[in-house]
Amino acid sequence: MSIYLKLVGALIKTVEPSTEEKNYKKVFYGVMGFIAVCGIMLPMAFFVGVVIYALTQPLVSQGAGQNAVELFLHLISVFSFIFGLNVIFSVFYFSGDIENLLPLPLKPYQIIASKFTAALISESIMEFIVIIAAFAGYIIASGRPFWSWIIALVGMVTLPIVPLIYCAIICMLIMLLSGFIKNKDTVNKITGFLTLAVVVGIAVLVSNMGGLDSDHLVEALSDPNNQLVNTMNLIFPQVHFLVSSMVNNTVVNLIFYIAVNGLAIGVFLLVAQAIYFRTAVGINRVSGRTKSIDKVIASLKQHSPCLTYLKKEFRLLFRTPAYFTNCIMINLMWPVFLYIVYLLNGKTNFLEGFIYGIHTGNEESVLILILAISGLSVLITAANCIASSALTREGKHFAFIKYIPLSYIAQINVKALVSIIISGLGMIIYVIAAAIYLNLGIKITIFCCLVSLLSVSFVSYFGIFMDSVNPKLIWDDELNALRGNYNVFFNMAVAMLLEAVTCTSAYLLFRFTSLGSLIIIIMLFILLMILNIISYLLCSYKAAENIDRLSV
Amino acid sequence: MIKFENVTKVYNKTVRAVDDISFSVKGGEIVGFIGPNGSGKTTTMKMLTGIIKADVGKITVNGFNVRKDPIKAKESIGYIADSPDMFLRLKGTEFLDLIGDIYRVPTEKRQERIQEFAKRFELTEALSSPIMSYSHGMRQKIMVIAALMHDPPVWILDEPMVGLDPKSAFELKEMMREHAKNGNAVFFSTHVLEVAEKLCDRVIIIKKGHILYDGTLEKLESTNKNESLEKIFLELTDK
Repeated sequence: MSIYLKLVGALIKTVEPSTEEKNYKKVFYGVMGFIAVCGIMLPMAFFVGVVIYALTQPLVSQGAGQNAVELFLHLISVFSFIFGLNVIFSVFYFSGDIENLLPLPLKPYQIIASKFTAALISESIMEFIVIIAAFAGYIIASGRPFWSWIIALVGMVTLPIVPLIYCAIICMLIMLLSGFIKNKDTVNKITGFLTLAVVVGIAVLVSNMGGLDSDHLVEALSDPNNQLVNTMNLIFPQVHFLVSSMVNNTVVNLIFYIAVNGLAIGVFLLVAQAIYFRTAVGINRVSGRTKSIDKVIASLKQHSPCLTYLKKEFRLLFRTPAYFTNCIMINLMWPVFLYIVYLLNGKTNFLEGFIYGIHTGNEESVLILILAISGLSVLITAANCIASSALTREGKHFAFIKYIPLSYIAQINVKALVSIIISGLGMIIYVIAAAIYLNLGIKITIFCCLVSLLSVSFVSYFGIFMDSVNPKLIWDDELNALRGNYNVFFNMAVAMLLEAVTCTSAYLLFRFTSLGSLIIIIMLFILLMILNIISYLLCSYKAAENIDRLSV
Repeated sequence: MIKFENVTKVYNKTVRAVDDISFSVKGGEIVGFIGPNGSGKTTTMKMLTGIIKADVGKITVNGFNVRKDPIKAKESIGYIADSPDMFLRLKGTEFLDLIGDIYRVPTEKRQERIQEFAKRFELTEALSSPIMSYSHGMRQKIMVIAALMHDPPVWILDEPMVGLDPKSAFELKEMMREHAKNGNAVFFSTHVLEVAEKLCDRVIIIKKGHILYDGTLEKLESTNKNESLEKIFLELTDK
């Protein structure tokens, strides 16, 4: 047990300000942490709590009060499974510590158990908060006794275990069965596409259900034999036992809950003991193909340094599985998520009225659309963390940035351009597709594209500035460069907070003054341009200075 | 070609990694930089290449001040870092092409030098494979090729022999001699005293950020007769 605990401790690494001005960094991190908690975590927790509260209240009188929270926890488990696949794959098979752990006299289950626990803790902090918020919504709406809070706390920490165990077992089996694939990076990429396929599958499933608006949802949830909940109970039985122990105030269900988790952990460790070493030893992370070297050398031509640097950034992003799934794939996934939301709300009066409003040139609808596009562009650019991890991704070879004869600002510009191209191009393609689908006019489409590009470039430069303050340069595998990186989280918090203030102010100006939507849109453009200039100047002076000051 | 004037670097306001050092390396010279672990060798080399900022003092490379004219200074340098694990997902040729473009090496010269160096280091076949598939020694070789491809007047090599097989180490030593013979400066750090003994015109011995000795090996040995270089080094650095 002590070996397991020591290994977990060693595997969980915290980001410590590593350079000289520790006090300055601590203050910065404190402020950013406060903004992140206020800007992302609390609003999200509050939103989840309110939704569960609102759904639970009408269900309590019908004796099905637990259905909303149960369905929500199933949804959380599904998301945990979807996003856990790649994480578990990287942690189990592609992290740099494997080469150090395998030669040690440790049993496979000890390595796997500690790696799994470290991944669970570092991956699930946000999930813990969402789970406790959902329980809070349910407990308050249904007036459960104090005992329920203790169960909620148990659930908060332990609910993500089973979905991640599913991921772990699937990953080990895939690796066992994929012995014929020489290049294991391919396996990792296939998993990325599998994740996308699962998300698309959910979208298709929801689409086939014909959409679910909130009235239908309450109606469906009030049915004690709700098929969706019943099916999910078979897949994630621990959720049902935990919620039932809360509803019935019985210890029996809690014992069942612990038993299900115990059984899952037991099976997982047995599988790990049996096959982990066989699948982890001798992993070849890349495969080399030999081409005629003379032809290759003859094809090397002189180009602009920035163009080659740009190509290098793209190659590393697309070839590194952790970057590909976290930075690139997310740009493919969000429209599917958005489509699911659209299907879930497709028949509400608000959306129908909103689309009708855009078609008829209603000023409010057009303004909301442009504000939404701007908000989405900010969110996606921050979430794909191409910019906010641009310096962190350099890792141990950060010194390269400093000793090559290319100015820091030129390198920052290239890194920002990568983010702008990937995030912006994705946004514009989807904006144009949506414009065709919703039959938007050319003028509105152009406005949307411009506002999207301005939002993307602002967050890109701002993200690089945020990363330059204290890039996380010590990581042993690429996934670690992104996960548990506070810079990514802080950038998202600050960008979203700024965007929320901007959009809310713009909308309030429209509602409560005589200013027309066109004036407000022009004001939005001007504001975004100012934000772009500020973030560019921050990069030119402060980020370049931060890079220069870093001792590596 | 390299000039350090009263240079100091302090970490965390307490650790004086390099303390008021001054030295120079002229064109045509091969200078070895020797010292125990943590003596300040890598810090000195990193200040020279612009990776670390000196707190006090002036560093000049090929006539360019490293702080005031960093791009020109960096263009004059061919630097081999202490770790060759860089851009592992790129293929060898892609990495060399990147370096060629950054240092603005013309197409013909680039192709010619890559061919020549790859042949000398027996790396030709591996160039089209990702660097990740290379052994440590092969990674070190590609870093050497990258550092020397633009034919810089100043070579700064941090432990360049580590991981190289005997033939490649011999080739690199030959190349260092050829480079110095053409009027260029070679400044390299090493732990292997025999390498310094056979290769260097001059050595600089550093300990705890202070230069203990700057001069020729012959002079050092003549003042400590009947003692091996190893013993002299240990006596100097154990004080």
